[in-house]
Amino acid sequence: MTGIKLAFNYLRIGIMNEFQYRANLYIQILQTFIALGTGLIGLNLVFAQTSQLGGWGKADLLAVMGVFTMTGGFIRAAIQPNMERLMEEIREGTLDYALTKPADSQLLVSVREFRLWQLVDVLTGAIVVIIALVQLNWLMDIWSVLGFFSALVMGGLMVYCFWLIITSTAFWFVRVHEIANLFEGLYAAGRWPVDIYPNWLRYGLTFLVPVAFAVTVPASAITGRLTFETWLGALALTVTLFIIARTIWLIGVKNYSGASA
Amino acid sequence: MRRYIDFYITSMKMAVIEQWQYPVANYFYMIGMIAEPVIYMVVWSAVATQQGGEVGGYTPGAFAAYYIVWTLVRSMNVVFTPYGWEWRIRQGQLSMSLMRPIHPLHNDVAFFAGWKVVVITLWIPLALALSLFFKPDLHPTLLDGIVFFFAIWFAYLIRTMTLSLLGMVTFWTTRVSALFELYFAAELVLSGRLVPLSLMPEWVQRLAWFFPFRWAFGYPIEALIGNMPVRDLLIGLGMQVAWIIFGAAAVSLVWKVAIRRFSAVGG
Amino acid sequence: MTSVISISNLAKHYQVPEREAGLAAAAKGLFKRTYKTVKAVDGISFEIQPGEVVGFLGPNGAGKTTTLKMLSGLLHPTEGELSVLGYQPAKRNHDYLRRITLVMGNRNQLSWDLPALDSFDLQRAIYGIPMDEFKRTRDEFIELLDLKDLVQKPVRNLSLGERMKMEIVGALLHKPKILFLDEPTLGLDVTMQKRIRSFIAEYNKRYDATVLLTSHYMADVEALCKRVIVIHHGQLLFDGNLSSLKEKFSAFKTISFDIDNPTQDFSQFGDVIAMDGLHVTLRVPKEKTSAVTTQLLSQLAVDDLTVESTPIEDVIESVFSVKKEAME
Repeated sequence: MTGIKLAFNYLRIGIMNEFQYRANLYIQILQTFIALGTGLIGLNLVFAQTSQLGGWGKADLLAVMGVFTMTGGFIRAAIQPNMERLMEEIREGTLDYALTKPADSQLLVSVREFRLWQLVDVLTGAIVVIIALVQLNWLMDIWSVLGFFSALVMGGLMVYCFWLIITSTAFWFVRVHEIANLFEGLYAAGRWPVDIYPNWLRYGLTFLVPVAFAVTVPASAITGRLTFETWLGALALTVTLFIIARTIWLIGVKNYSGASA
Repeated sequence: MRRYIDFYITSMKMAVIEQWQYPVANYFYMIGMIAEPVIYMVVWSAVATQQGGEVGGYTPGAFAAYYIVWTLVRSMNVVFTPYGWEWRIRQGQLSMSLMRPIHPLHNDVAFFAGWKVVVITLWIPLALALSLFFKPDLHPTLLDGIVFFFAIWFAYLIRTMTLSLLGMVTFWTTRVSALFELYFAAELVLSGRLVPLSLMPEWVQRLAWFFPFRWAFGYPIEALIGNMPVRDLLIGLGMQVAWIIFGAAAVSLVWKVAIRRFSAVGG
Repeated sequence: MTSVISISNLAKHYQVPEREAGLAAAAKGLFKRTYKTVKAVDGISFEIQPGEVVGFLGPNGAGKTTTLKMLSGLLHPTEGELSVLGYQPAKRNHDYLRRITLVMGNRNQLSWDLPALDSFDLQRAIYGIPMDEFKRTRDEFIELLDLKDLVQKPVRNLSLGERMKMEIVGALLHKPKILFLDEPTLGLDVTMQKRIRSFIAEYNKRYDATVLLTSHYMADVEALCKRVIVIHHGQLLFDGNLSSLKEKFSAFKTISFDIDNPTQDFSQFGDVIAMDGLHVTLRVPKEKTSAVTTQLLSQLAVDDLTVESTPIEDVIESVFSVKKEAME
């Protein structure tokens, strides 16, 4: 349990740090609104021409956009900054400080950074989802709600595992800096439900980069499209990815300690 | 004049050798960039298919052509970022380039122009691969091709001018990111980057005519893919040249004021 | 002879916003800012003749870099006259820029990923140096600094010192008449410092160039400069020969010797700077040196007695402390 305590401590320090830079909050709000605005423009342009896209109506796609914004905010708040710092430390050979702490190394490197203001995105995304649900005349249904939240958690975990796997390769290949850029590009695909993409791209976005699970699956849950089979599949994939990520991480650390000793 | 030609050739040659050392990094960068147009392409192709094969004059094949050419024009649009100006001033890079008997903006123009040569070379296999997947409908005439060649370089110059102007705001204040973000959002919508402008509402299209964005982005693409009448092709080139001249004049004026300020408050 | 650099009553003042601690003050500052004037350079005058190598000294923040930046045209003076080779630097006339160079120890101009040769070629294009002249100068410098095996390597693979040598070659390819060198040897090891020093001396001799140099390493100044200009708090403290600077400000000498019995009290002879086992170092006023030496030799059983003048670093330090007291 010391690990969790440690995580909370880092979180607290991270939040206090962010309060020092309050100007960033306004910049973040502006950025969120610009992203949302351009997203809405895109959505409206599409639905000016058609009334549905791959079986999704306009309000459904608004829900997708809301989830996309929420998850994206969470990734940029909690996952990406930690992984970028990790990448930097592996490259510079300064990871030793983290590895010598008396806590699980994977947990430690995953909780050291937290960008509070990115939560503006999470909040805005949630509001967009609610607006979409109102437009859909959504009726509260305990299974969709449970499905939604569990899918969100699993999606977040999968993205985290994906990042950790990629970042761990920095133990062997030092130049992985372009990954962040690449992920951002691919994540943008989540703005639309993956059903509309050609097969090869859909599989890529499902299994290589888990964008489908991070965005489309939770959005399917809340709009009543999620089947139990898909949910089970998500669970299985989460567990598998976690095991893979953990294994690669442990091998990488061993490798790193061996090389720097 | 001969000295400037010599400078441009030498500087571009250097940029080519320098960037050619990193084909992988350059490719990663381009692949990361490609996700964006592929998404647009897929969405709009789906819409077109659903509407009976065409939307706003674009078939799925035409969208494929638009967004594949988009990737090249986007690459030509990459210039020194306005966010870099603060770094440049703070690190003293600017002071060092002010010591040379040549206007520092020539450095930027020449260096990135050299880089573009590498980028275009690397783009060709990428475009071929994308064409295999998305089957573009592209039949340019020789004239289209010639106009396109000039149009992408003019687009590069336009964006160099506008982003330099934007970056120079840093001489007065370092709280610039809000301004930059707004600029980029306007550019996204009004340039033809998000969708071909002909899919935009009428009034947006008319508005876009008066901004530099579409001349640096949408116009070169349309020139190659759009069966534009010769008259429109020439008007486009004319608008590009006008924006370059206007931009260069604005840059040199703002530059003078900015440097006066810079040398008053410290280098 | 007419001077190549002539400065009179040169001043540079900055307006900096004044910040007070505390939230209330910060909030007030949002609406009304108070400024205070910082006088980075406050009325200095000097002339430099062609071919001179002048050391420009002063503690951090004394105004050295500000002065160099005004001389090279990067900063506009607030007041005073400034003329270099008959040009007004602030106009940054291209003909003027072609005749000078500014080297800063912590800045680099060379392309990181390419061999220095490529960057040299770019310098040629920028300064419009004729090809044959360029090649001659380049090879001459490469020879002088012993860089033949390094010019083909990407700059990122060079050591700090090797990179600095390359920077200097790049900065001198257009054979400037005036060199402004701001800490050219910063962070380099002793052999590398020597190498660069002797190159600067050689360049000065071959091309009759004028050099104005700042350095933290007194060895640079002692080896290169006959004349030094000392500024402090933006004002001129001293302008003259290095030897007369020592003469003027070094009021003390150090005497060191070995002793059999270390329990004695030596403070009656002078300030005890160090006492390391049987080795003692004293500091005494210059005029008392001979008296104290005689006393020591006659009254005590001392061995290996040496008298040294104070190191130049200490002299400079005392210049600043003396003047500071005088001014306050």
